[in-house]
Amino acid sequence: MDTIFWSQFGVRMQRKLIICLAAGAFAVALSLSTVWAARVGERAPDFTGTDTNGKVHKLSDYAGKYVVLEWHNRGCPFTAKHYDSGNMQRLQHDWTARGVIWLTVISSAPGKQGYITAADENAFLKQSNAAPTAVLLDPTGALGRLYDAKTTPQMFIIDPQGTLIYNGAIDDRATTDAADINGARNYVSLALGEAMAGKPVSNPSTRPYGCSVKYPE
Amino acid sequence: MPPCIVKQNGVPNITVRSSSSHRVSPHFLALAVSLLLAVAVGAQTPVETHAKIQLVSEEKSIRPGGSSWLGVRFQLDPGWHIYWQNPGDSGEPPIIEWRLPAGFRAGTIRWPWPIRLGTNSVRDYGYEGEVLLMASIDAPTNMNASTPVPIAATVKYIVCREICVPGKSDITLSLPPNSLPFDEPSPWQGLFRITMALLPKPLPSAWKASAVSVGDHFILSLKGPGSAEKLMFFPLDRNVIENAAPQNLESRHGALRLTLKKSEHLLKPVSNLRGVIFLDQYRVFEIAVPVKSS
Repeated sequence: MDTIFWSQFGVRMQRKLIICLAAGAFAVALSLSTVWAARVGERAPDFTGTDTNGKVHKLSDYAGKYVVLEWHNRGCPFTAKHYDSGNMQRLQHDWTARGVIWLTVISSAPGKQGYITAADENAFLKQSNAAPTAVLLDPTGALGRLYDAKTTPQMFIIDPQGTLIYNGAIDDRATTDAADINGARNYVSLALGEAMAGKPVSNPSTRPYGCSVKYPE
Repeated sequence: MPPCIVKQNGVPNITVRSSSSHRVSPHFLALAVSLLLAVAVGAQTPVETHAKIQLVSEEKSIRPGGSSWLGVRFQLDPGWHIYWQNPGDSGEPPIIEWRLPAGFRAGTIRWPWPIRLGTNSVRDYGYEGEVLLMASIDAPTNMNASTPVPIAATVKYIVCREICVPGKSDITLSLPPNSLPFDEPSPWQGLFRITMALLPKPLPSAWKASAVSVGDHFILSLKGPGSAEKLMFFPLDRNVIENAAPQNLESRHGALRLTLKKSEHLLKPVSNLRGVIFLDQYRVFEIAVPVKSS
């Protein structure tokens, strides 16, 4: 440190300045790393989640694979559109068959729509013929907030290198009408197809459509 | 502001709720006027989904070659809301599909300024209580001047509170032709007049707005006559600003500066910042400002 510069300040002032500068540097470092939770092109946040069979999953467990995160609330009419029609189940079957890890996430707080026990969710998966790799129960909303999930459904895709390559809507028809599924561009299938073919994702970040995620107040 | 529940014989419960101080008087007035109305100018009872929907018109009749205002009136159950043209983080705005006789044209929906809904995690824009979505209708000069004009619309919407319910309503209205040399106001004229006062106005020339992109934020600057303690920005375009982020306001050298965090979905620079700015209930303006990079 420049002794001439520092000598004009008393010891107390020097300490204050050091603390202030350190705090400032820390704040800048913090803000640079946490400006956005899950922005396409950046490293996807690592997480730890527990599924409906009590098994713990970490994103880092799946390095080397494509991972799809699907935010879910079966009571939401936008989600129901994709489940009642069998569309979501079809996507889960098709993509897990191609080695994609599909994790459904439920971030509804207890007492709010979508909150469900592990047993009930397992029963729903059987009855609806759903085929995710696992369903992560996130009643505290920690995983939802880590990814800043706003709606159900909201879809995230992480590539084998751990980069977020898609964040947004399931498709381009923001309605609750199952009749709109057929003619829609499915952003998830498009992104996975493009990425697996080594091409850049053409629609990497769209505004997701759905009901709000029911975080605790 | 606590919710206000009004009951009247034969008229459903209507709640007007103000979640922020700027929402009070015009909506109370709209409510008062609509409660006084005894006659609806032709409306159809809709399917109940926490919203009663009617097709109303400002005039009792329609003139060949003339223009008139139609409106889709929503009366929402207490606590339930529908969405603005940019719904924000979740939800979708109502869609109105007109079915008009040949030669008639309906203009675009005019959106009254919205209120902020939701939480600090998921922020939306929309309406509670009662809202009238207006559209102009143009009649052809060669319209049949002896039979009433059948006007119909299908309204598809999503109405939410803690949960969301989709709704679909088919509404109709029959307007007789007007052969008189003056307009005949309908009993709904008061509601139309009040709603027009709730529409954002073009930015007056005495006000100057500008925007600059600085890293992960936009700074919206506003300079004009009179003072303002408050400034809120409602974006017209999705995926431009982070709806749930606080909008920090600074007053500097007679100008207002509003800091708007960019959306994490915004991957490319935007050339224009479009939306509605709210200073107070008398100063709500539409803006479209070019964005300069710093």
